[in-house]
Order: sequence, then C-alpha cells, then structure tokens
Amino acid sequence: MVIFLDIFVFMKIPMHIKVEIRVSLILIALFSVNALSSQEEQEKELFDIEIKNKATEYKSHAYFHDAALFFIEKNWDSTLVYSMKQLNTIQNNTEVKDYTHYFRGYSFNQKDLFEEAEKEFNQISRQFEFYDLVKLRLGEIALEQNQFKKAIPYLKDGLLKSSNNLYFKKSIVLKNLGLCYHHLRQFNDAEYYLFKSIILQEKSQDTLEMVRTYGDIANLYYEQYRDDLAISYFEKAYKLSEKVKDFQSKRNTAFNMAVVEENRKNFKEALIYRKESEQWKDSLNNQNKIYEVAKLEKEFAIKEKQKEVTLLQAEKKAKTVERNGLFYSAIVLLILLTTIIYFYREKIKTNKIIVAQKERLDELNATKDKLFSIVSHDLRSSVNALKTSQAKLLDNLESGNLNALSNLLQNNSAIVNGAYNLLDNLLHWALLQTKQSYFEITSIRLFFIVEQIAYNYKPIMLEGNIDFENKVLKKDMVFADQESLKIILRNLLDNAIKFSNSDGKIEIYTQDVNEGYCDIVIEDTGVGMSEETRLELLKESGLLSKKENENIIGTGLGLQLCKSMIKKNNGKFSIESELGKGTKMIVSLPKTVL
Amino acid sequence: MDSVNVLIVEDTPAESDALVQVLTANNYTIVGVATSFKNALELFYNSTVDIVVIDIFLNGNPDGISFAETISISPNASKPFVFLTSSTDRKIFERAKLTQPFSYLMKPFNELEILYALEMAVEKFYAQPDVFLGDQEDTIISSQYLFIKKGKSLKKVIITDIIYIEVEEKYCNIITENEKFVILISLTKILKLLDTSIFCRTHRNYIVNTEKIVEIILADNLIILSGNHKVTLSDTYKDITKKIHTLK
Repeated sequence: MVIFLDIFVFMKIPMHIKVEIRVSLILIALFSVNALSSQEEQEKELFDIEIKNKATEYKSHAYFHDAALFFIEKNWDSTLVYSMKQLNTIQNNTEVKDYTHYFRGYSFNQKDLFEEAEKEFNQISRQFEFYDLVKLRLGEIALEQNQFKKAIPYLKDGLLKSSNNLYFKKSIVLKNLGLCYHHLRQFNDAEYYLFKSIILQEKSQDTLEMVRTYGDIANLYYEQYRDDLAISYFEKAYKLSEKVKDFQSKRNTAFNMAVVEENRKNFKEALIYRKESEQWKDSLNNQNKIYEVAKLEKEFAIKEKQKEVTLLQAEKKAKTVERNGLFYSAIVLLILLTTIIYFYREKIKTNKIIVAQKERLDELNATKDKLFSIVSHDLRSSVNALKTSQAKLLDNLESGNLNALSNLLQNNSAIVNGAYNLLDNLLHWALLQTKQSYFEITSIRLFFIVEQIAYNYKPIMLEGNIDFENKVLKKDMVFADQESLKIILRNLLDNAIKFSNSDGKIEIYTQDVNEGYCDIVIEDTGVGMSEETRLELLKESGLLSKKENENIIGTGLGLQLCKSMIKKNNGKFSIESELGKGTKMIVSLPKTVL
Repeated sequence: MDSVNVLIVEDTPAESDALVQVLTANNYTIVGVATSFKNALELFYNSTVDIVVIDIFLNGNPDGISFAETISISPNASKPFVFLTSSTDRKIFERAKLTQPFSYLMKPFNELEILYALEMAVEKFYAQPDVFLGDQEDTIISSQYLFIKKGKSLKKVIITDIIYIEVEEKYCNIITENEKFVILISLTKILKLLDTSIFCRTHRNYIVNTEKIVEIILADNLIILSGNHKVTLSDTYKDITKKIHTLK
C-alpha cells in the first residue's frame, strides 16, 4: 500500500519536495522492516532460554511461571493476564517484578500498544539484569512513535552498556540510531552510525540486512543531493538484492533504481527497473497467492483428512458396535450355557433325590404290604378262631354244657380283645403316618394314666394270676400327648402280659437316670428275649415277621407304633432283657419340673 | 354332702346307657340324657347341672361342639364339660379346642378314664389345677359349691350351708347344719376363694359364716352360731362386730 501511495504522490508534487517525501516514505518502509528484523528469532530464542531458567527458578510463583511460559510461546494476551495476576500478589521480589514488567512491556509492544509498553518498561528497576535491553526496547518504541530525539539516548545507552550482549543485534541498533539521526536531518551522525552498522553486517555476512542498510545509506545521500554516492549505494543494494530471496527487498531496490533512473531521465532504464519492480511485486503477490493456494490446499487437505478421520471414526464406531454385539452375544450365550448346566445339574440332583425317594417309597410300600399281609393273616386267624369257637358254642348250647359255654365265651372275649387291639394299633399307625391325628403335649400326672391303662388289663392279669403293681409316684409328671402316651403304655403293658408266664409279676415304676427325663419302666418276669431279638426290635422300621412262637409273637406293629410315638413325644426308648428272666421296657419322656 | 349332677349328651343309647351305669355306680346323679342339640339345651337350662358330658358327633354332625359353644357364651350359665369322641381327627379337634377350657376323652374309655376326665374338667373350668390328682388338696371352690373328692368320685357342698370352718394344720373341718367333715385345702386358698362378704375370720383357726351367727359374747370372746355351735373370737379379729352391726 505504501508503495502505491508513494507513486501517486510522486506524480503530483514538484520535484524538490517530492524527493523528500519520497525518501521519507521509503525510509519508513525500510524502518518498519527494520523494526521487524530487530526481533530476530535467533536472539529471542537465546533470551527465551534465559527466561526459562528464571521460570524454573521462580517456580513457587505460579503466575510468574505461567506468564514466562506464555511469553516464550509468544502468547502475548495470556502473558499479559498472568503477569497482571503475578503483580497483584504481594510476595514479589524486585527481580520477579522486573521480569514481569519486562514481559508486559514486550507483550504490549508486540500488540502495538506503545504507550502501555513504555509505561511497563519504565517501571523496571535499574538493577535489572537486562536493563540494557529495556533501554533498547524503549528506544525502539520511541522510534516507532517517531520521537527520534527521545529514541537516540535510549539506543545509545543500551548500546553502551551491552557491547557484548548476545540478546540483540548491535548492527540493527546502530542502524536504528542512524535512522534517527537521518530523520533529525543530522546527516553526518546518520552516516557514521549507518556505516558502523554496515561494517558489522558485512562482517556477519548478513546479506538481507546489508541490502536494507545500503538502501538506507543511499537514501541518506540522496536526500543530501549527493546523487553519485546515493546511486552507487542504490546499485549496490540492487545488486546485492539479487542474492536475497526476500521479494520485498528486491522490489524496493528495483523500485528505488527506477526512481533514480527516472530522475536521471534514463526512462528506458527506469522502465526496465520499474518493470522488474512490478515483477517482484507480482512475485510477492504470487507468493502471497501461492501461500493462499497452499493455505487453501492445506485446508482442503485438512478437510480431506477430517473426512477420512470421520470415516475412520464411523468405521471404528461400527466396529465397536459389532465387537460389543459379539461380546454381548457371547455373554448371553455363556449365561445360557451356565443356566443350562445349572439346571442340568439340578435335574441330576433332583433325579438322585427322586431315585432315593423312590427306593424309600418302595421299601415303605414293601413294609406296608408286609404289614398288610401280616395284619390280615392275624385277623383271619382271629376270626377263624372265633368261627370255630362259635361252632363249638352252638354245639355246647345244644348239648346244654354250660360250663364249657362260660369257658368258650371267655376265650372268645380274649380273641376279640386281641383283634381289637390289633385294629386299634392299625388305626393309630395309619393316623400317625398321615399326621391327621390331634396331638398336644401337656403336663401329665403319670400315675393316673398308668392306673387307667392297667384298669382294662386287670381281669386278664387276674386270670393269668399275674401280680401287677403301679409303683409310679403321684408326683411324677411328664410332658407328653395324653392319647399317644396311653397308646404307648397300653402296648407295652399288653406285651408284658403277653410274654409273662402265669404267676409272673409286672411292675410299672419310674426312675430318675437321665437329666431332664423321666424313665418309665415296664418290667415283667416273663420269657425275655435274645440280644438278637432285642436289637431287631430297636431297629428302625423293623417289622417282626412270624417266627419261633406262632402263638405269642405278633406283627411287631405295636412296638413300631410305640417307637414312633415316643419319638414324636421327644422321648427315647430302650429295652433291657434277659432270656428266661424277664424284660424291662424303658420309655424316657421329658420331665415336668414343678 | 350332695352328689354331683351330670348331664349326658349322647345319641347312641348303648353308650349313654353304659355311661349312666358307670356314673351312677360312682355316686353321680344323672340329670338327663340328651340325644340332640335342641334336647340338650332344654335339659341344660331346666335342671341343675354341675358337669356336662358331650359326644362331639350327634347324628353324624358335630353338634356337640355347637352345644358346648352355646353354653360357653353365657358366663353365668356355663358349666364344666367333657367332650367324648371316637376320632382324633385334627380338624374337629381344632374346632372343639376353641371352646375353652377344653377337656376331652377318647372312646372307648373305661371307668377310671371317665372319672378322671370329669375331675379334670372341673379343675380346668374353675382354674384350680392339680387339686384332685395331688396329695395336698381335695377340694375345689366355686361360687356356689365346694367340690370335694370322696374316694373315686366327686361330692359337692352348698357353700351357704356351711356354718363355720375350723382349720387344723392342712385340714379343714367343715361344719354344716347336718354334717361335719374334713377336707384337704390350704387356709390361704380357702380365704382367697370364699366370698368375704359372707365368711369372716374370727380366730386364727376359725372362719365363720356371718349369716349363721346367733350371738356374740364379747366378754367371753365367744360367738354362738346356729345349731348352738360355739366359736372363739380372738382380739385380732374383733372388727367383725362392726361389720355385723352394719349388716343387721
């Protein structure tokens, strides 16, 4: 833009003034380039290392640390924010403060807020390690604001104090000084500094800077109307610019040459230079275009990449979904399998139980069948006996034999009693198996129950001349269900009588052997039993089959019933017996404590 | 001493006959044999009944339980009762058991069992357990009667007939207009259960029916009762005079 404006002005105004303005315009253009180049990357990088060290040193100052890092990253806004935060904290030492102000000044400068920058730099104490840099920065700011007089002392100071400083280019400072004097129209001083600068640049082979500085020198002479010198430097700059890649510099030198030739009225030459300048300008534009195209391409590439990424993401998503699906179905299958195995095992278990139950049932059924056959056999015998007896009875009735009648009737009565007891036991057995019968455990006085049971057997015992004695104490009390206790005692007494010889003795008494239990003993002096029989009787669900004594030994149902009922009453049952001497049937029931 | 009145509710004549025979032989008075629910209620309310023997099944229905329920509802009219049953069917028992106090007897039964069952029913009904079965006591006191075990059966004495009671250790001499007999009962229990508005203690060993007092001779510490019975009045119990004055 500046250049176009320049041409426009050149066309309109008279020569003398025209040149001045032209030169100053070019100078400004050059200057701005200088300002840029004064922040050379290399120097900044070197300085950044220093900053980094400081940041590590003051790690405890979190904001300072952050501000420093942002400063290194050239994130000026963030640097400003964190440096402000750091300044707001109280615990600042001078060094931290100085650094912080430096960050702020530098950042403001970068954001072209020169006044703010100047303020910040001015707050830095003189003890600051890089105070020379501060001076230089202030000088640059002054230069930036065209306050050349103000800039000169700063630049000079800075230059003086840091002759060996690595963190800035001396040549640039010198050139800036030269420019200042140039603007102040102190051409001698300007010349001095520019030459000093060019010497340094020639030493360091900094071609680009040299091009610029030659331009500056040429301008300086040109403004003093020392055209020969000026033209030689313009040409020098122009030639040197051919080695440089910077289009702007090439264009500027070409343009300057065009202006020079024009002024010398060498329009042909001027035209060539101008064309070249145009060409560089185009190149510059082209370069810009190329940059733009490159940028567009890049954007496009990014977009493409983005698309690809999206596509990949979608694919990945799809894959994830697929994988998850597989995973879940695997889990479901596993669960299904486990369940199946579980149920299968359960089934096996159940089957086992069922088989066991079936065996037990078969066993019980067999027992029942056996019981059935024995009972029916017994009943059949009883009824048969009754039938025979009945026939005899009728015979005797006809013949009028009354003595025989009495005997027969007594016999019948005994048979019927036996059959009745059998049926009674059968009934209770059935009720017990189906758990239909009423059962209530209460406290019972044993004596009266024994009396009541014995009462029914008194005539039989009298007949058999069996001596019976109820030795149970009136105070003996047990916990039992009354009806089942009666059934137990009835059966045991019945057995005792059945296995007693005439003139035998039966005693019922209690003994206190087990803690908390009352032992009811039914003792007879009858035939007794072998150990084998005894064990057989005590066996679970052992029904005695017909054996030795057909007349006496019954079904075993009575004793089974006793055992079951004793168990139901929470009692225990035991037998003591000696063959030929007698038997003790012992029922232990929980005692009632008064 | 009077015999105890029993009402039998039983629909099978053979069984009721046997019952009547057994109970009569043991000095119980049978006030009647009911054969149905209705019949039973009539007899129950029209005669003096001390104990009821109820067959659960009347004509195939558990009407016996209904009858027991009916007489249990009115507290003043209710009497001790015993269920007779030939089945131990649990459902029936569960229902019968709701009529408290619950006593039952399984058929067939013998003489001892029925007598025992009657005694148990009286004990349970008057909530004085372990009286007839133990050795310590033989009498149950209701509001109207003393039920005393005599041999195998029960007797009753009308409480208002008692003139005075003389305590001798764990025995009590009961003196009525016509009789004098000994019962087994503790003093504390008799004092607790007798109606205190009628019976008063006059001495460590004497409990007197105040309605039978003829004369009190304070000077001699003597009370003259109807039938010319004389009882000592000790100083400890002289408060009795005030009570009697207010009464007369």
